[in-house]
Amino acid sequence: MKSELYIRFTPLHRFNHFLIIISFFGLVLTGMPLAFKDYAWAHCLYQLMGGYPIAGYIHRICAGLTFLACFLHFAQLSYAVVIKKQLKELLWGPDSVVPQPKDLLDVLGEIIWIIGFGPRPRFERWIWWEKMEYLSLIWGTLVMGLTGFMLWFPANFSAFLPGWAIDLALIVHRYEAILAAVFVFTIHFIHTHLLPEKLPVDEAMFTGRITEEEMLHERPLYYERLQSEGTLGNFKISPPNPMFSFLSKMFAVPLLLIGLFLTGLMVSSLILEFI
Amino acid sequence: MSLWAYHYKPKFKLHNRPLIGVLIISLFISTVLLSASGGFVLAQKNSDCIKCHQDPEKCGPKVKIDPVSGEIFITSMLLSDEDVNTFKASGHGGEDFFCIDCHADLEGVEGDHEPNLKPVDCITFCHDDPAADYLDGSHIKAMRDKDKDPLTCKDCHTGEKSRRDTPRAENPVGRHIMIEKCGSCHEPHLNSYRINLHGQLTALGCTGTDIASCPDCHGKHIILNSTDPDSSVGENNIVETCGKCHGGSSPRFAKHIEHPQFKNLEQYKSIFLAFKNINTEPQAIGKLARDPQTYLVLGFVVYMAILGMTFSTFGLHSLLIWFRTILDELMGKGSKKHEE
Repeated sequence: MKSELYIRFTPLHRFNHFLIIISFFGLVLTGMPLAFKDYAWAHCLYQLMGGYPIAGYIHRICAGLTFLACFLHFAQLSYAVVIKKQLKELLWGPDSVVPQPKDLLDVLGEIIWIIGFGPRPRFERWIWWEKMEYLSLIWGTLVMGLTGFMLWFPANFSAFLPGWAIDLALIVHRYEAILAAVFVFTIHFIHTHLLPEKLPVDEAMFTGRITEEEMLHERPLYYERLQSEGTLGNFKISPPNPMFSFLSKMFAVPLLLIGLFLTGLMVSSLILEFI
Repeated sequence: MSLWAYHYKPKFKLHNRPLIGVLIISLFISTVLLSASGGFVLAQKNSDCIKCHQDPEKCGPKVKIDPVSGEIFITSMLLSDEDVNTFKASGHGGEDFFCIDCHADLEGVEGDHEPNLKPVDCITFCHDDPAADYLDGSHIKAMRDKDKDPLTCKDCHTGEKSRRDTPRAENPVGRHIMIEKCGSCHEPHLNSYRINLHGQLTALGCTGTDIASCPDCHGKHIILNSTDPDSSVGENNIVETCGKCHGGSSPRFAKHIEHPQFKNLEQYKSIFLAFKNINTEPQAIGKLARDPQTYLVLGFVVYMAILGMTFSTFGLHSLLIWFRTILDELMGKGSKKHEE
C-alpha cells in the first residue's frame, strides 16, 4: 500500500526551525561553559568554541540568527493577520496554538491512557504539549533576548535602570538558559524525536511532510476535520527528495547526540553542586 | 623550586633602613675600589649564576629554614632550562637585571657562596614608591590589627612556580595567581565574585586586562575598605573605577553588585529573621526592600521554582509518554496498526 503524504510545515516554518537549531546550539555551546565554570568539561568546551573573546562573538552572532528567525516568524504571523485576515483562527479554534478547553480533556485522557485504562487520546492539529513547547519557546526567546541585550549593553540600559538590574538580568539569563537547554535536549527531544515510533528523528520539521498513517495515529481529529471540510486534497504533496531526507537525518542525529551528551554533563554537574 | 616558592617568607626589615644605607655606601665604595683594582668582580653576569645552578654536581638540594615560621624543608636550587626561560620572560628577566641586584649579599662573591642568603629587599633601592602606598593602606593596617603577618611584596608578586618569576602587571597568569591569592583569605568574596560575569570569565581562564580582577577595582597598592569614601570602590571613586572599562559609566551604572549573595545562606537567614521579627522590628523589612541583594535572591528563588516545576511535570510526562508508547508498540496498538 502506497501511503499518501501531507504537508505539515511550510518552507518558512522549516527554515525558521533550521535557524533556531543552528543558533540555539551556538548559544548553548558558547554560553553554558560560563554557567558551569567550575567543571573541567566547561573549560574544554569554552576553549573548543574559541575561548575569550571569540566564543562571545559566536554567542552574539547566534543571538542575531535567533532574532532573524523571530522576525521571520512574526512577519509570517503579521501576514496571516493583516493580509489573510486569520486573526480569529490564530487565537482560537483547532488551528490555534492557544490552549483550548479540549486540551484540558486531552490531558485527562492522556493520564487514563498512560495508566493503561484507555486508548491514546485523539489529538487535533496541535497536541497540548506542542502548544506548551511553542509558547515556552516564545516566552524563553523574549526573556533571553531582553536580558541578553541588557548584558550586551549594560551602560546603555543603566541610563534608565539601576546597575543591579543588570545583575538580575544575568541571573535570569543564566537560569532561563539552563531551563531552555535542558528542556529542549530532554523534553522536546523525547516528545518529538526519541519516541519509539519516531526514532531517531521526526523528519516532518525538515521535509515538512507527514504520512497518512502518522497523521491518523497522531492527530486523527485533524485528518477528519480536513476530510469533512473537503480540503484534505489541498494538503497532498509529492514525496521528499531522498537526498534531502538523508541530509536532514545526517544533520539532526549528531545534534541530538550532542544535546543529550551536554545534558548529561549539565545535569550531573547540577547534582554534584547540590551534594 | 616549588617548595621554595611556597615556604620562603621574608619580611620587610624597614627598621634596618639606616643600617642598610651604611652597608650600601660601604659596599659601593668597596665595589669602586675593587673594580678600579682589577675589574674581575664586575664579570658577575647572570650566566655565571645560571651555569652553576644548572650543574647537578655543583648545585643540589639544600635544607632551608623559613625565617618567619622556622619551618625546616628541603628544596632544590637546580634550575631547568624551562625555569631559566620563565624567569627571562618575567618582570625581572630583562637584560638590565642581574641576579645580584636582588641577592645583593652575593655582590663580589666568586665561585661558591654561602648556602643561606639574606631575604631579598624589594623596597629600599627600587620599589619604595608602591611600598609606601601599600604600607599606608588600610589593608596592611587591618592585618596588623588582627595580629596577622602583613603580606610582603613577594606574597602577591609571585610566579606560578617560583617567587623568583615576578609576573608583569598585564600577565594573565599573574592576574590569575592574584585572584587566587586574594581569595585564599577572602573566600566568601571570591565565591560571590565567581558567580558574577567577571568572575565567571576569569574562572574559565580569561584573565586578560579587559576583565576585572580583584586589584582592578579594589586598588593595587592603596587598598582601602569599601566603606571608605576615598576607596577605589568607595562612593567618591566608584564611577571612575567602573569607567576604566565601561564607557558610559554613571552613578546609576555603578549600583552594580559585583558580589551577589544569592548563593549565600546568611542572606536567606537574614531575610527569614526579618520576616520572623516583623512585629518587633518592622524597619528590618524596609531595609531589606531597599537592598538590591534581596531582589537578586528573589530572582534566583523564582527561577529555581520554575526549573523545579517544569522538570517535575514535563520531565515526568515525557518519560511516562515514552514508556506508554513502547508498551503500545509491543502490544500492537502503536503507530503500525493504521497500516493494515
